[in-house]
Amino acid sequence: MPAVSPPSHASAPALAVRALVKHYGKVEALRGIDLQVNRGEMFALLGPNGAGKTTLFSILATLRTPTSGTAAVLGRDVVTARDEVRRLMGIVFQEPAIERRLSGRDNLLLMGLFYGLPSAQARRRAQELLTELGLAEAADRPAENISGGQRRKLELARALVTDPQILFLDEATLGLDVDARRAFWGHVRTLPASGRTVFFTTHYMEEAEVADRIALIDAGRIVALDTPQALKARLGGGIIRLETADNALARKWLTEHGFAPADSGRGLMLVQADPASVLPELLRSLPVRVERAEVTAPSLEDVFLKLTGRGLSAGNGGGPGGRGGWA
Amino acid sequence: MIRGIYAIVVLDLKRAWLDRTRLAAGLAQPLLYLFVLGAGLGGSSRLGGGQYQRFIFPGVLGLSLLFSATFAAIVIVFDRQIGFFKAVLVAPLPRAAIAYGKITSGALQAFAQGLVILPFAPLAGVRFGLTAAILLLGGMLLSAFTFSAMGVAVASRFTSTTVFPIISNAVLLPMFFLSGALYPLTSAPHWMQIATHFDPVAYGVDLMRGALLGQYFFPPLLSLAVMAGIIACLAGAAVRVFNRGEDDSSLGAAKFTWRR
Repeated sequence: MPAVSPPSHASAPALAVRALVKHYGKVEALRGIDLQVNRGEMFALLGPNGAGKTTLFSILATLRTPTSGTAAVLGRDVVTARDEVRRLMGIVFQEPAIERRLSGRDNLLLMGLFYGLPSAQARRRAQELLTELGLAEAADRPAENISGGQRRKLELARALVTDPQILFLDEATLGLDVDARRAFWGHVRTLPASGRTVFFTTHYMEEAEVADRIALIDAGRIVALDTPQALKARLGGGIIRLETADNALARKWLTEHGFAPADSGRGLMLVQADPASVLPELLRSLPVRVERAEVTAPSLEDVFLKLTGRGLSAGNGGGPGGRGGWA
Repeated sequence: MIRGIYAIVVLDLKRAWLDRTRLAAGLAQPLLYLFVLGAGLGGSSRLGGGQYQRFIFPGVLGLSLLFSATFAAIVIVFDRQIGFFKAVLVAPLPRAAIAYGKITSGALQAFAQGLVILPFAPLAGVRFGLTAAILLLGGMLLSAFTFSAMGVAVASRFTSTTVFPIISNAVLLPMFFLSGALYPLTSAPHWMQIATHFDPVAYGVDLMRGALLGQYFFPPLLSLAVMAGIIACLAGAAVRVFNRGEDDSSLGAAKFTWRR
């Protein structure tokens, strides 16, 4: 990846990350991240707690500084051109970042002022966003008196006050019900059409599906980066899920017989090219009683579990027998 | 910079306006000093009841300014706890603007609280003309900025409000008592006259008393210089604290959980 020089701002990718490392004392939160996100892309960052997701997000959003390596947002370095980056970005935090006692309009107005808009312009922009996001009823009521979904939309409006080129969303819909989440993403999805880049983290797999590309991060490294379709295709075929009377024994047996079982909920999961033909034989041969068996098409959840799941010890690669050799 | 300061001031004043009943509630303490303590102590004072109330009126103004400026500064700690400040911190505005804005908004809130007390001046036997009024308002404003700078410089260092009652008793009250707000410094023991030189509140009260009663303990120019110096130093200190907060003001730093 070529180094990004200042004159190439216009053609620079939305995000360019090279050999990014972050240590907290002795803890290595990021162990060398390389990443490029194109303009106009919806990009999701997935990973378990402690994987380094929040750290990477924070560095890109100029909230933390890297220990080494570089990160550039639209060609501007997040450390040396921090304020420039901040002028180009909008950010929705996991936790509320609106003043609950003030009205939606006042919140947006103030954010405009903080970004240096003149009062009249800030007021106009606030009105525009309230209309655009369907926040009319939140306009003149204290933010604490509107619904959770509306409040999250207000957060989005706050992040959009300055018409940012790139939007960072950190677990933006955490705790919302399905309808409210759908409404929120319904709006976010329209943003790339106007050339904006959206970079987000989420715990909800179905939200990650809306991304153009997904990076899976674990233990401070990116372990997979692809489109949702390609990630799922990597698992090939389908998934067999087994719940047995003794999962530990089943796992041992499966491993000995060349399978690569991973933990999945209360049972085990196996990725197979042709699950339907393997399952009957499995059920006959397994030395433990199978309480439940199920064959499903792979979901992102499965990819996630397979790659970063608790059941996989770090560095185990694809497991015995070369199954899942993509890891 | 100016826009940033303005934005912070607008934010704080909008929020303070929601709590405008505090202006009335904030009257209780000063009026208690003025009309209960003042009337009671005044009877046994060499000055006599009415005279004593007149004498402590500027002191009570100082008390009001000191406490309201400090409590305005406490909002900083709450700001750290709610996420709104985070959104402010990622705005491309200089950290210094946040510090200056906080000091200004605290000073304006304290000044407003002081103004609410002024109508009670005649009841305390205080009468003044235009010149005295201008001098008094100037003294109030300067005191408000000084006390606000003190509050912000201290509050910016804390992430929890639990220490504030302690600070209030261990710092604010001693400063108030030592300031000569309730007694003439000229008749205080020698050590107190020396100690009071290190008390910012004393200079503020002395300026306001001078404006109203024409009696100064410190040369007015010294008071002006000292207070301007305090504002400059503490504003600088507050700016340093806000600048330092870069890496730990980030996303859920306190909540960062690391599992390996």
